[in-house]
Amino acid sequence: MKLQGRCIVQGEVNGEALVTNDNISFMGTINPNTGVVIEKGHELEGECLKDKILVFPQSKGSTGGSYMLYDVVKNGVGPAGIINIMAESIVVIGAIVAELPMIDQIDIDQIKTGDYIFLNATEGTATIERRE
Amino acid sequence: MKLTDEEKKMLSGEYGEMVKKSMDILVTLGDIYGAKKMLKTNNVHSPGVSYRVTGDAGLNFVKEAAFKYNSCSKCSMTLNTIGIDYDKAEELGFSKEFTSKQRELLKAYEKIGALGTYSCTPYLIGNIPKFGEHVAWGESSAVAYVNSVMGARTNREGGPTALAAALTGRVPEYGYHLDENRLGDYLIKVETKLECDRDYGALGYYVGQIVGDKVPVFENIKDPTLENLKALSAALASSGAVALYHVKGVTPEAKINKNILKDDVEEIIFGEKEMGEVGRKFNKSGNVDMVLFGCPHASIEEIKKIAKLLKNKKIKSEIWVTTSKPVAELGERLGFNKTIRDSGAKIVTDTCPVLSETVRDYDLMLTNSAKMAHYAPGLWNLDTVLISMEKAIESAIDGYWGGDL
Repeated sequence: MKLQGRCIVQGEVNGEALVTNDNISFMGTINPNTGVVIEKGHELEGECLKDKILVFPQSKGSTGGSYMLYDVVKNGVGPAGIINIMAESIVVIGAIVAELPMIDQIDIDQIKTGDYIFLNATEGTATIERRE
Repeated sequence: MKLTDEEKKMLSGEYGEMVKKSMDILVTLGDIYGAKKMLKTNNVHSPGVSYRVTGDAGLNFVKEAAFKYNSCSKCSMTLNTIGIDYDKAEELGFSKEFTSKQRELLKAYEKIGALGTYSCTPYLIGNIPKFGEHVAWGESSAVAYVNSVMGARTNREGGPTALAAALTGRVPEYGYHLDENRLGDYLIKVETKLECDRDYGALGYYVGQIVGDKVPVFENIKDPTLENLKALSAALASSGAVALYHVKGVTPEAKINKNILKDDVEEIIFGEKEMGEVGRKFNKSGNVDMVLFGCPHASIEEIKKIAKLLKNKKIKSEIWVTTSKPVAELGERLGFNKTIRDSGAKIVTDTCPVLSETVRDYDLMLTNSAKMAHYAPGLWNLDTVLISMEKAIESAIDGYWGGDL
């Protein structure tokens, strides 16, 4: 299955999908040194973002999130790419600086955690391979 | 995007590598959101000033701008809350390593020409944009406040774009800079009495969860104080990504424009039931380790009230009152700080538990701030209770919270 969205930050990357319907604040939701989700009650609490294609509706919360996304990527424990429903500025700014492939305007209900994703952010597409 | 000759020069590298990189970031962002041109700005409030937020990645980004490229801010630029109390870092238990990295970051910002305000409430200490002014602000709570209560115009800027705006004097024209994006998407009918900052926080928290990054318009809120609106702003931008809201009969754009709502908007009721929902999310009885006031940084009226409530009292739990340096100086002169300190409570400047290093192994924190109640559990690994200032102080005196909201 191939989904067509909009390019936010160019690049091509593959990886396993980590999907949530909860919004994410990179300041407060994630520990930047481990890449683990620390926000209590978050759907992904305890999960690690490392090398995942992170799929979530949009960013929320602290504007510190831009540098924290950059930091978690630089620390080698960040996601490999990002897919949003609607890209909000804080995560976009972080992704631009971190040169992290990112697309939005995707119906994320089509993607499940564990799917393998070929993300061609330059073309704005995500090709999904289901691995049950 | 259409750029002026001057902006083209910036983008081509004529003014150096860092201005080029800055303009590149702004153009990229502007293109994503369909900006047609750049706007001039002369007012930046930069987030990303705590080392907890920047980490080494952001620290090196700012250091490179300051020392490798000798960048210089073209704008008035205030700085957000940092990770230490600038004057009392050791006393509060912040580690040497964290403190030293934090100071490195501040030196870099200072070299660029920023003002070391170190506060999430720049609008209480001299950074007061004019109505309609295009600014580049970060700090989620301050963005909501400056857009909504002051009627200035900003998108939610992150550290890198606040810096880029400072070095170029430009922001891309999209989002909340444009009239058409400043109309309300939701009507919030408030059907319960809001009695204190805690209640405004609960309202903001409930609504932020539902509206995400859209614009809510509140109806039936009577005579809110500056502190009430500060609490509302912070909460809306914690559970959600709200950058702008209106309060009918209160905030400037809602007063000027009688048709502040878009057509056919969704209505949300906030009554006793909804207030109770937020209350239950942030409530747990037990021994109280810590009480936190001043999220966002306390105003002088809040300091005055805390002093009144703590007068001739002794507390069993730790209390932090976080505020900006100028407000703390005034509290000192007026004798409020001494009263607060005599009870055993601490006045902490420049920082807060959200943005500082986690230095306490605590289980339970009480606060009147929905923003703090939201962030502290993840960052400090504890439970939070969202209650009024009066109840929090009574509990700090007893050292125990019984859980009866």
